[in-house]
Amino acid sequence: MKRNAAIIGCGQTKHSSKRRDVNVAEMVSEAVYNALEDAQVSMREVDAFIVGNMPGFGGIAQPEQWLGDWIGAAGKPVIRIATGGTTGGSVGQGAYYPVASGLHDVVVAVAWEKHSDSKEAGATSGLLHVGLGNLFHAASYGLNLKNLMAMSMVGAAAGVAVYQAVFYMHRSGCTIEHFDMVAAKARRNAARNKYAHLQWPGCTPEDIAETELLAYPFRYGHICPASDGASAIVVAEENLARKKARRPAWYKGLASYSDEENQLQSENFGGVGVLDPSEQRGCWVSAMKAYAMAGIKDPQKEIDMAELYQPFPSQELIFAERLGLFDEGTAWMALEKGETDINGRMPLDPSGGVNATNAIGSSAMQRILECALQIMGKAEEHQVPKKVSNAVAHGWGGVTNYSTVTVLGDSPGR
Amino acid sequence: MKSESEIIDVKTLPFTANFIWATGFMMQRFIEELASRKILGVKCPGCGYTYVPPRSRCGKCYAKIEEENLVTLSGKGTLVSYTTGHVALDGQGNFIDLQEPAIIGAIKLEDADSTIFMPIEGIEPRDVVEGLKVELQWREETKGELEDIRCFKPA
Ligand SMILES: [Zn+2]
Repeated sequence: MKRNAAIIGCGQTKHSSKRRDVNVAEMVSEAVYNALEDAQVSMREVDAFIVGNMPGFGGIAQPEQWLGDWIGAAGKPVIRIATGGTTGGSVGQGAYYPVASGLHDVVVAVAWEKHSDSKEAGATSGLLHVGLGNLFHAASYGLNLKNLMAMSMVGAAAGVAVYQAVFYMHRSGCTIEHFDMVAAKARRNAARNKYAHLQWPGCTPEDIAETELLAYPFRYGHICPASDGASAIVVAEENLARKKARRPAWYKGLASYSDEENQLQSENFGGVGVLDPSEQRGCWVSAMKAYAMAGIKDPQKEIDMAELYQPFPSQELIFAERLGLFDEGTAWMALEKGETDINGRMPLDPSGGVNATNAIGSSAMQRILECALQIMGKAEEHQVPKKVSNAVAHGWGGVTNYSTVTVLGDSPGR
Repeated sequence: MKSESEIIDVKTLPFTANFIWATGFMMQRFIEELASRKILGVKCPGCGYTYVPPRSRCGKCYAKIEEENLVTLSGKGTLVSYTTGHVALDGQGNFIDLQEPAIIGAIKLEDADSTIFMPIEGIEPRDVVEGLKVELQWREETKGELEDIRCFKPA
């Protein structure tokens, strides 16, 4: 019999391009102790730790062995999860299993990235599997190496995202101006989130449109930053959750799937997979499974807000549709009407999202953390005005990994 | 059939991956103070455990450790364990045989609880014993770098 589990505390570091005052262990411990303080849980009450960052990033092969006793894990189980760009989503889901199974009562999950420890973009984006993953992908679309490297400068996933964006534009009718709107919204929302990186109060789509075009359809103003930061959650079983938190954020449903496109098994590699990288069936399947587990039949009505993995603005629109929050090809129309604004009908990324803050390993965890904050009513300046009963957190893992979908709610389930 | 010259021999990847790890504030102080021949540690305000090099969070009692908890240690200590190395790395990923075996010891400095690993010189490997009193040897000119600590020698 599975037990109910809830997030009862959240902790983050301030995200910025350089945290030279702390090393990795110190930065990660900041988030952990902030989460414990928020949960009003002492370190002695914690049974186990789930940790993770992007495999290879930061150049430390087994960071969990370094930081174990910095996060209070001496003598306790520590499991590192590394699922590429989705790592944070898998870490946030990983904390659920031992609590739901009855193995542990309180688990801390923490995810992080420290880009400034990399001397150049190559060190951030250049670990072999990531570099080669993009290379294969570029080859599959006929992108030459020079352009690939140019795009590596603005983020390892850009090589995928440009094609994905154009595919989406063709099939939905959305334009580059809609990406300006999403990016401007992300920067405005981030300005209300004290932990966010790229904050720009009052940023308008026109401000974004003035920035240089990097690789069609992306402008400089569309691209996420590379951030240093960590985020942590405290997950507890039902009795403790009810005792410690006024409004715990309950895990209602979760799932993680991949598809051929993500696994480099597309037609161009002799496979039978989809070629359209905006197809994202893995996200769709994950969402359907997670909603079924959560007892959600109509996400458009039952989901109150979402935090999506959108390092590129096109992805907020693509994934919002794949999560069933809008009809196929219509997310940009909802954007135009202001429905996805912080005070809209379906707020998307009120925190500013990955587009404003990207500490890669932590980014998908932050989506879960941000949904928890909205349910708990602790999002402060970026709290959405509407009541949040159900929220959906999404993670995306670039070219070679999984999608994670986590449904949180203000009650334990059906 | 392709001739051999048409096969591309990939020797390097088209990018580099170097790192500049932040040491954190406490470790930075430790390294800087080496210039004035000082060994810094911290005494945990929670449990009294003394770490060298200093750190900002206690792994024993979880207390936050601040700058005011920094202490200066003497550079004298006791050997608690050791080994002798007969090969070294050449910087290219290969082993090279050493002319003389090198001794590496785990040293507990006076007033410290944690140990540091350092080369031990000025003694034959067969004479090394657990409990040996040792003393830090500075290099000629100290610059605020880890290399300022040359080795330890029997006191
Ligand atoms: Zn202590």
